[in-house]
Amino acid sequence: MKKKIFSIVLASLVAVSALAACSDKKANVGEGTEAPDTTNAAGESVYSEEKIIEMTMFSAMPGNEINDGNEIQKIIAEKTGVSVKETWLTGQTAEEAVGAIIASGTLPDFIDGGDGMKQLYEADCLVAWDDYIEKYPNLKELYSDEEWDMFRQDDGKIYWANVFCNSYGEEKATGHNDEAFWIQVRVLAWDNYPQIETLDEYFDLLERYAAANPEMPDGTPVIPYTALCDDWRYFCIENAPEFLDGYPNDGSVIVNIDDPENPKIVDYNTTPTAKMYFQKLNEVYSKGLMDSEFAIQTYDEYITKLSTGRVLGMCDQYWDFAYSIAGPYAQQGLDDLGCDYVPLGLVAEKGMKQQWHAYGDTLNNSSGCAVTTGCSNPDMAFKFLNDILDQDIHDLRFWGIEGVDYLVDENGEYYRTEEMRDNWKDEGYKADHCCTYSYMPQWLGTSKDGINAMQPQEQASEFFAGLAQPLVDCFEAYGAHGYPDMVGSDKDARPAKWYPMYSYSNAMTNDTEGGVAWVDMGTCKHEWLPKVVTASDFESTWAAYMDAYNACNPQAFLDEMQEELDRRAAV
Amino acid sequence: MSILTARKPKQPDINKVKLTKKEFNRQWVLILIAAIYVIYGIIFYYLPLAGWIMAFQNFKMKTGFSSPWVGLDKFKFLFRPNSIFLRVVRNTFCMGAINLVSSFITAIGFAILLSEVKNELFKRGIQTISYMPHFLSWIIVCAIVHDSLSSEGVINEILMNLHFVEKPIMFFAHTKYFWAIVAISNVWKETGFNAIIYLAAITSIDPALYEAASIDGAGRFQKMLYVTLPSIRPTIMILLLINIGNVLNAGFEVQYILGNDVIISVSQTIDIFVLKYGISQSDYSLGTAAGIFKTVVSMILIVVCNYIAKKTGDERLF
Repeated sequence: MKKKIFSIVLASLVAVSALAACSDKKANVGEGTEAPDTTNAAGESVYSEEKIIEMTMFSAMPGNEINDGNEIQKIIAEKTGVSVKETWLTGQTAEEAVGAIIASGTLPDFIDGGDGMKQLYEADCLVAWDDYIEKYPNLKELYSDEEWDMFRQDDGKIYWANVFCNSYGEEKATGHNDEAFWIQVRVLAWDNYPQIETLDEYFDLLERYAAANPEMPDGTPVIPYTALCDDWRYFCIENAPEFLDGYPNDGSVIVNIDDPENPKIVDYNTTPTAKMYFQKLNEVYSKGLMDSEFAIQTYDEYITKLSTGRVLGMCDQYWDFAYSIAGPYAQQGLDDLGCDYVPLGLVAEKGMKQQWHAYGDTLNNSSGCAVTTGCSNPDMAFKFLNDILDQDIHDLRFWGIEGVDYLVDENGEYYRTEEMRDNWKDEGYKADHCCTYSYMPQWLGTSKDGINAMQPQEQASEFFAGLAQPLVDCFEAYGAHGYPDMVGSDKDARPAKWYPMYSYSNAMTNDTEGGVAWVDMGTCKHEWLPKVVTASDFESTWAAYMDAYNACNPQAFLDEMQEELDRRAAV
Repeated sequence: MSILTARKPKQPDINKVKLTKKEFNRQWVLILIAAIYVIYGIIFYYLPLAGWIMAFQNFKMKTGFSSPWVGLDKFKFLFRPNSIFLRVVRNTFCMGAINLVSSFITAIGFAILLSEVKNELFKRGIQTISYMPHFLSWIIVCAIVHDSLSSEGVINEILMNLHFVEKPIMFFAHTKYFWAIVAISNVWKETGFNAIIYLAAITSIDPALYEAASIDGAGRFQKMLYVTLPSIRPTIMILLLINIGNVLNAGFEVQYILGNDVIISVSQTIDIFVLKYGISQSDYSLGTAAGIFKTVVSMILIVVCNYIAKKTGDERLF
C-alpha cells in the first residue's frame, strides 16, 4: 500500500511539473519573439551571453528535457548565437498537441509535428526553406535535388526536412533502427543459439525457456511476450504481417511487385499471413505466454516493464524502446545477465527472403524539422540549423567534448573509456551535459574527416566495446558483425522509388474518402486486434473483425494509395 | 449604498417598474454589476456562436471563414451509416444519465443521513472529509482509480485473497465494467460536495414541522420521508433541471484518461470525438457540427423537462 501512495504522490508531482513546464514554454516563446536582431553580431565567432537568442522547439514525440545551463548547449550557443529550448510531447497524441498549437496560435520557433506536419502546412504556420537552402550550404548538402523535390508541397515549396536515416559518405550501420521480433540473448544462449526463422520457432523457444526459467533472479515472474497497442505505437502488434510476407516497411500497405512494370497495392491486414499471425498470437495468449495486460498498457508502462528485464520478447522498432531502457539496464546490470535484445527477421514460411532491415537511407518526406511563422528571426533560425551541421558542432552534439566525452587515438579515431560510455547512459549526466538537438538536422554515416562515424553508435569499435559480454557471445555464435546481420535481411534489396508509402498515408486528411476510411480503419484495428488476440473463439472473432473492417470501406483508401503509387512509379 | 437605504421606496410592483432616470440613479450600482455579467455572457457565450458557421463550411485555417460552403455535408457525415458518432452519442447519453441518477441519489441520501447525525463534531468531520475529493483534479482521481483497479492493484488483491476470483480481473479490458467505473469514480469524488446544497436546504426546514410530526407519532424514517424530502423538493427539482442540461456533458477527462483503445466502443464521448476530429485531424467543421448537435439536444432536454415541471406544478427554471 505504501508503494501505491508513493506512486500517487509521484503521479501528482509529475502532473504539477508538467503544468510548470507548460508555463515555462510560454515565457520562452515570449522571449524568442522579443529577442534583439543580432545580424550585426553575425561576424563574431563567439557570441556573448546577452547576444544569444533563446529559441524554442516542440517535437511531437515524448522525449527528455535537458536541464537549463546544460554544458554542451551553452558551448553550441556561444558558437552559433542560438540556444534552443526543446519541449516534448506529454500525455497527448502528436496530432492533438499539434492541433492545439495551431488553434492557440502560439507557435514555437522550430517544430517537428510528426503526423501533424500537413496540418501545420495547411494552416500556414511554416516558413519555406527554399531561399535558405540556397543560402546555407550545409542545409543544401543534406539532400540531393531530387530528394529535396520530394519534400515539395502542392505550392511547390519545401517546408521541412526529415532529419533521420540520412548518411554522409559511406554507410556505417551497425545498428538495426527498424522493426523486428526482438528476443533476449539469454534465451538464445540457453538453447545454444538456434536458427529462428518462423513465428512457430520463435514462440516455441520462448515457451520452452519460460517453462525452464519462470522467474527473474529476484523472484518476479518473466513475461515471455508482450505487444504494445498504445495509440500510434500499435504498429507493434499491427504491421508484422507485411514483414512476415517479406516486404519492406511501406507502413500502411504492401507493394506487390510480382509484375515489376505494374506494382500493386495490397492490404496486409487481410492476407492469409495476417490471419496466421494473429491466430498464433491468440494461441500464445491462451497458453498464458502473453502479457495479460498487453492490450491496455500505456507506452510508459510498457517501457517500465521492459526496463525490468522480465519481458523475453516483443515486436517493436529499435528506437521505440532501446534508448529508453539503456539507462535502467546499465544501472541494474541486466545487460550482464543477458537481457539485451537482439532482432530476428522472422518470415511466414521457412526459407523466404525478408526486408525487416532496410539497407540504404529511408527518406520519409511526411515529417521533419520546420521553422514556423512564429519565429521572429527565421534567417537566424536557418543559420542555426546550418551551423549545427558543421562537423565540429555535429561532433559536440553526438560525441561530446573531446577529452571529456571521447578521446582521439594516433590514427585520429575517436574512442571512449568505460566511464565515458557509462556517463552517456546516465540520464542525469545527459540532462546536465549532453545536447544532441535530436530532432534537428543531423547526419549518419561517415564523418567529414573520413575516419569516424558521424554518431558514436555507428562507430564499429565503439559499438563492440560498448556491448555486454552475453551480447558479444551471441554475435560471435551467429557470426554477426552487428544487428543487421542478426536480422539477416536481403542485402541486395534497395528501397524502391515509391518507398516508403506511409509518407503518403500519414499525410491523408478527412477531405478524401480514402482519408476518412484510413482513420476508420485505424480505429477499427485499435479496437479489434486485441480482441482477436484474446478471443476464446478465434475464428468467429476474426470473422466479426473482418466484417467491421470491411465496413470501414478500406477499398477507398487502397484506391488512393494505388493512385499515389502509380504517380510515384511514373516519376 | 446609503442612498439606497435612506430613501424608502413605495413598494413598487417589481415587474412593473419603468426605467426612468430617477429609477436609474437609484439602481445604478445594481445595473452596473448586472451589466458586467451581461457583457461577460455576450463575449464568452454568444460571440463564439459565430463560429458555428464553420459547421456549414469545409473550414481550413488557411482560408478562414471564406472557406467553401458545404451545407449540411458535415452533419450528414456525422450520421452516415456505420458512423461511430451514433455510438459516441449513446455513450455520452448513457454515462450522463447514469452519473446524473447516481450522483442525485447518493448526494440526497448522504445529506439526509448526515443531517440526522446529532454529534456536531462527528458530523462536521464527515462532511469535510467527504467533500475533499471534489478539490482533487480528475487526473489524480483517475490515477488512483487506475492504480487500484490494475492487475496488481488493491481491488484485485482483495478479490484474490478472498478467493472470489482466481486470476486478476482486467477492469479496463472489458467493455462491461467501464460505465460503472466512471459512475463510481464520479460518486466518490462529488457526493460530499453535491450534498452541501441539500444540507443547507435541510437546515432551513422549520423545526416545528418535525415537532408536529413527532406529536403525530412519526418515527425517524417517517420524518425523513414525509418532512425532509418534501421540504427539499423545490431544491431537488431546480438542480435536476439544471443538471439535465448537462447530461451530454458526461465528461471528458475521466473517459479520456481511463479509456483505452480496447474499450473505445463504450468510452468515447462527444467531447473526445470533437477533440479527435476537430483538433487532431484538424477537421474543425466536423468538430463544430458535433458540438452544435450536442448543444441542440441539451436545449431540447431542458425545455422539455421544464415543461414537464411546469405541468406538474413544481419549481421551474423559466
